[in-house]
Parts: sequence; structure tokens; C-alpha cells
Amino acid sequence: MNTHNTNSFLSQWFGDLWQVFVNELKRIFTDSGVILIFFVAGLAYPVIYNMMYYKNVVTEVPVAVVDMSGSPESRELVFRWNATQEVQVTHTCANMAQAEQLLKDQKVHGILYIPADYAAILNTGMETAHLSLYCDMSSLLYMKNVYLSANMVVLDKMQHVQVDRYEAMNIGSQMSWALVEAVQYEAVNMFNPTGGYGSFLIPAVLVLILHQTLFFGIAMLCGTAREENKEIFLLPGRRRRTSVYRIVTGRTLAYFVIYMAIGSFDLLLVPIIFNLPHLANPWDVIQFMIPFLLSTILFSIFLGSFQRERETGMVTMLFTSLIFLFISGVSWISENMDSVWINVAKLLPSTWGIHGYIHMQSMGASLSTTAYEYKALWVLTFLYMALCVISLSIRAHLYNEDLKKEDAERREKVRLLLHERRQKLAERQQKFFSRHHTSGNAEV
Amino acid sequence: MTIKKFRTLLNSVIWREIRRMVAQPVYFLASVVLMAVSCIFFLTLFDTGAPQKVPIGIVDQDRSSISRRVAHELDATQSVKVIDIYATYEEARVAMQQGKIYAFLCIPEHFYGDLAAFKRPTLTFYVNNAYTIGGSTGYKQLFMVMNLASGAFQREVLRKKGMAEHLIMKRIQPVAIDAHLIGNPTSSYPVYLLGVILPGILGLMVLMITIYSIGTELKYKTSRQWLRTANGNFTIAMLGKLMQLFILYAALGVAVNVLLYKFMHFPVNGSMLILNLALVLYIFAMQSLAVFFIGLMPVLRDALSIGALYGMLSFSLSGFTFPAMGMLPWVQSLTNLFPLRHYYLIYVNEALLGNSITHSLLPMGSLMLFFLTQFFVAPRLHRALWFQNYPKG
Repeated sequence: MNTHNTNSFLSQWFGDLWQVFVNELKRIFTDSGVILIFFVAGLAYPVIYNMMYYKNVVTEVPVAVVDMSGSPESRELVFRWNATQEVQVTHTCANMAQAEQLLKDQKVHGILYIPADYAAILNTGMETAHLSLYCDMSSLLYMKNVYLSANMVVLDKMQHVQVDRYEAMNIGSQMSWALVEAVQYEAVNMFNPTGGYGSFLIPAVLVLILHQTLFFGIAMLCGTAREENKEIFLLPGRRRRTSVYRIVTGRTLAYFVIYMAIGSFDLLLVPIIFNLPHLANPWDVIQFMIPFLLSTILFSIFLGSFQRERETGMVTMLFTSLIFLFISGVSWISENMDSVWINVAKLLPSTWGIHGYIHMQSMGASLSTTAYEYKALWVLTFLYMALCVISLSIRAHLYNEDLKKEDAERREKVRLLLHERRQKLAERQQKFFSRHHTSGNAEV
Repeated sequence: MTIKKFRTLLNSVIWREIRRMVAQPVYFLASVVLMAVSCIFFLTLFDTGAPQKVPIGIVDQDRSSISRRVAHELDATQSVKVIDIYATYEEARVAMQQGKIYAFLCIPEHFYGDLAAFKRPTLTFYVNNAYTIGGSTGYKQLFMVMNLASGAFQREVLRKKGMAEHLIMKRIQPVAIDAHLIGNPTSSYPVYLLGVILPGILGLMVLMITIYSIGTELKYKTSRQWLRTANGNFTIAMLGKLMQLFILYAALGVAVNVLLYKFMHFPVNGSMLILNLALVLYIFAMQSLAVFFIGLMPVLRDALSIGALYGMLSFSLSGFTFPAMGMLPWVQSLTNLFPLRHYYLIYVNEALLGNSITHSLLPMGSLMLFFLTQFFVAPRLHRALWFQNYPKG
């Protein structure tokens, strides 16, 4: 008897769940706004971003040289600078004013000024020759190219000058080098070896695209439900049966199924198609996607369920895409952030998703190395699940109370109405009887 | 139409609009509140102007005292902090893959002995460029400390040879570079970022809210009543609706600029007036595009989705992070379709370079070209408002 009850309860539960799941899929695929967000934005944005950063690195930034020295030494320096991949000497100016104007006109993004005494100091004196370098700050990438390439070239030049001087002092060549460069070094770009901007930013953007399209899509669906007077905690097609667990689980599953597909395309295929770093084991990424998508979906349902209108979420929350990107600490590192924001960032699935994904895909970490982020996403999944359940339960409870009150009021109204009718009937009867009685009397 | 009648009609549309704006909290939220949130967020996010105490590590295979000395040298700098000394390369690599460090220095076996024997041992820096700022700061600092160490070693040897101190210094550094960073002398990241990103966010908000403001009239079928308030005059109806939004957002824009350049003392080398004017033109350009989008697709949800897709792209395509010259040629021409690109060019000219106003004129003219977009869709929008013949969405 008991088992039979349990069985019927379970079958009812799963039946409802299935109904919620199918109904949510229907809602997604019949809503052009949601289709636009999930499928067009979710699939096209990764491609668009890759087109924008297609070249990945900035090379041959135009620069100007003001060579007051005009010596073989200065010409050699300019030649070497020009030979670097980072810059290209496009203008040779007679004076500083000319070069400055070129920079102000944005024809060049850097200026190297070589003073008149440059060669003389190098050849004869024991002085330091001062070069001046002017960097355009309109983009940090210009500055990086101009500054680093000039420093590299000058350092190399400097070491040769020093060695020449020591050799002139009759210190042997090997010993001179041992003095000038006592320690040799080698720099290894371990991850993102080209130092490309696209291969740095796009992995983070890919994760953020999944996060934000889910967020806006789900908010839109929640708002629509509210607009159509279907409270989010009601089972499909019912006005009275609420079930928070079945609904949250069923809806989550619907989004999850769709986003496992979109997510696999964005996080696994796009890096291969566009030759972004893809060092991860695909199976690890798929496992990582599970808590990332679940926590994102529940986070979105929780926030979206407060929305009354279909569109307000998008109007007000669009700017969060930028905030979520910066707060994650992928660009400006989290170690240099205010602690308040570091803690806020920990509540966002995007933060953990971005770091975990970069660690695996760009840096070749395994899932076990990424365990911290992976676990954090499961914690967020349960946190937002709990928040969804609590907030919806409260609302479902209030809704049920309202319904009960409404029912009670209606019953009361009916009772009053009946009471009134009965009274009226009684009055009429009395009147009738009394008339009858009086007339009867008269007869008598 | 007499001027008096025009003004009465305009006033009635304006009052209707103000009542709508007061009744819907989204207007206040998506302007003053969220702009304040954005300003507070971006102004407090960056603890420091330039990266500081970036965590790095050292792999000590030599097991001599040198690693502690190097760590000490590195810790003495502002930009990096040695958080751990690892015994093996593997440990350091895992720490990097877990995001704990952004770079590490590998000190090979027999390093100290080789150094003392003038054998020029090799140090290896491992840099994580998957996090650009962390990686490049770590690299720059390791590189610098390495050269300083080489210099210190040289100095010691020369001193032992009995060379005079002032001659030693010149010997160690025969060439020096004095760097001048134009417009942002401290290479401050917030200065670099906020002058464009905050106006960008404001533009995004005005785009969305203008689409919303017109779109809800269609959605709730109040558009005909709106036109009737203006006595059927489309121009007055639009003017009365867009004017206060424009004033609100233009005022917010100027407030943001004042906050950045007056209170936060971000550098302005050119004219603050031109910069403000450019921002106002930019707001108007974004508003015109909003009218264009809702006119093109008079369905609230579709216009909003398209507006959002377009608006988010403008940050990357303005070219203020990754410069436009590094993009494919056809993408470079596409950047012109985004008002933020033109505002960025004016910002560079006025705030950073302080060049003559003539260089701001072309991008200002380009911003004004965006005003025309709304006129192309005006008849279509007018019909849609009157006949309400599009799906309500």
C-alpha cells in the first residue's frame, strides 16, 4: 500500500517534471526574442569576436625618429629598431617639433630622439648618452610595442658598447661578456606564446557570452511569464498547482540541454576553428561546463524571477557584461582589486567559469588542477538553487494564501448572497402568508 | 502652425512623457542609478593606477642562498611580490596553472658556482601571457631586476679592480632611455580605460532606454494616443519624447566628464569644452541610432535585442583596447559605424594629445552624420505608431 503510494507520488513528480521541461522547451523555441539571444548571439558572437581580433597581435606600429647625431652609430640604432617586428620607422624628422606634430596627427605612435652627442659619447667619452622616447598612450598596445622594442634594441647596443670598452682595456672578450652579462637569461612565454590580444581576451569572452546570453534569455522568459499572468511557480497550464522543486528543476534542465550544445560549440569548437589556445582535454571542459551552466542558469532564474516585464532586464542589465568581465580579474588582475569587489566577484558564476576555462584551455591545466574553480561552481549551483527555492516558495506560499483568501471571500460572498436571497424569500413568504391571513380574516 | 500652438502641443507631449517616466522605475534606474553604480564600480575597482605586487614565484634548483637574495631584490620592487619558492619546475607550473602566480624565475643547478667562476649561467623566466597584465608586469620586472643584478655584479668586479665610483656608473650604463608617456605620464590603467568605457556605458544605456521608450508605446498600443497628444504631428510627438531623455543623458554625460577630469584629476591636455561637446554629440548619435533601430523593426523585443548586440560590439570596435590598425581592413572600415569610435578619436585628441581642434572636427562631423539615420526610418515609424500593425511582442 505504502510502496504503491510512493510509486504514484514519484511517477506524478517525474511526470510533472517532464511536463515542465517540455513546456519550457516549447516556450524557448516559440519566442523569437529568446531564439535571437540564445542561438544568434550565443553562436554568432564568438565568430564576430574572432573576426575582430583575427590578426591577434599588433605589429609594425609606425614610429618617427629624430636623429640629431646623424652618425653611423645612430643610423645603426635606427636600423636595428626598424628591424624589430614591433615597430616600423616611417618618418625621419629634422626636428622634434615636426615629429611631435606627426604624433599629434596620429601618423606615428612613438618618437625616438637621438641627441647630437650620441656618437661622440659612445666613441670617446665615459658619459651616459641619453635617448628620449615618446610614447602615444591612446592604446596600451602601442605603448607596449614602442617601449619594449626600443629598450631591447638599446640594451643590446649597450652591451656591445660595454664589451668594446672592456676589450679596449685589454680584458679578454669572454671575460668582458662575463662582466657585462654575468647572467644570461631566456624568457619563455609559457602560455599564449604569441602574446596575442585576441588569444588572451577571447577565451574569457566566450565564457561570458554563455553567461550573459543565458542571463538575458532566462530573464526575458521569466518576464514574459509574469506578463502573461502565469506565475513562475505554477505548473504549466494550471492556475492552482504550485511546485517549486519540479519547476526549478524542469526549467533548469531545459536550458541545460540547449546550452550543453551551444557551450560545446563555443568552448570546444570555436578555439579549434579560429586557432585559439586549445590545450584542454575536451572531456575535462565538458565536465567543467556542467556546474558552470547549472550555476549560471539558477543565478539567472533567481534574478530573472523578480522581473515584472519582459524587456526591463535587458534595458537595465546590459552594462553588467562589462562589469562581469572586469570584476572577474582577467584583464586587471584580482590581486590589485579592492577586496569588496573580489568578494562580489566570487558570487558570480562568470568569474569562476572564466578562470577555470582559461586555466584549462589556455594553460593546459587538468580538471583536477582546476578543482578549486570547479568546486566553487558547484557551491554556487547549490547556493542559487537554495535561493531560487526559498524565494519561489515564499512567493508560492503568498500566492496560495491569496488564493485561499480569495476563495474564502468568494465563499463568504456566496454565503451572504444566499443568506440575502433566503431572507428575501422568507420575507416574501411572510408577506404572502400575512396577506393571505388578513384576506382570510376579512372573509371571515 | 503658430508658435504658440506648437508650444502648447509640445508641452502636453512633454508632460505626458514625464508622467510615464515617473511611473516606470526603469527610467530612473537605467540612467542615474546605474550610471552611478558604474562610476563607483570602475573608480573603486582599481586599487592602484599601475599593477602592484603581482604574485610571482621562484624555482630554486641551486639550493644556495642566491634564491633568497633574488627574492629579496624582487620584493623590494613595487610591481612584483615573490609569494613562494618552489623546489621543482613542476610545482611552479601547477601554481601558474592554478592562477596563483603570473610568472616564475628558474634558478638552475650550480648557478652560484657558475656565476662566481664567470661562466655566465642562464636564468629562465616563465611568463603567463594568458593573463596579459599579470604576465607582462612579471616579465618586465624580472627583466629589470636581472639587468640590475648584472650591473651590480659588474660594479663589484670593477670596484675590486680599483676603478673610481663615478666612472663605474657611466661604464655600466653607456646609454639610457628617458621615456615620456604622452597624456598619461604614469601609464595609469584607470586613466587609459575610464575616459572611454564610462561614456560607452552611458551610450549603451541611452540606446536601450530610447528603444524601450518608443517600443513600449507600440507594445502597449499607446502610440496612437501619444500621437493624438501631439495633435497627430509626428515631429512634435518625437521631439517631446526624445528631448527630456536627451537632456537627462547629456547632463549625466557631462557629470561623468566633470567627475573624471575635475574631481579625479584625469589629464586633459586639450579643451574640456570640446570633450563635453563631443560627448553630447555622441549621446545624440546613440539616440538617433535607437530611433533608427525601432523604426527599422517596430517590435520592442527585436529592436532591443538588435540594439544590445550592436551596442556591445562598440566597445571592441572603438579600437581603444586593441587598436584598429591591428584589425582586418574590412573590420577597420566597420569601426566607423560605431559612434563610440568617433568619440574615442576626439578623446585621444583632446584629453591625451592636446592637439588643435581641427583634428576633432572630422570625428565630430561623423557623429553628426549619425543624426541622419533616424530620418530614413521616420515615415515607417510614423506608420507603425499610427496603425500598430506589427506584432506586439
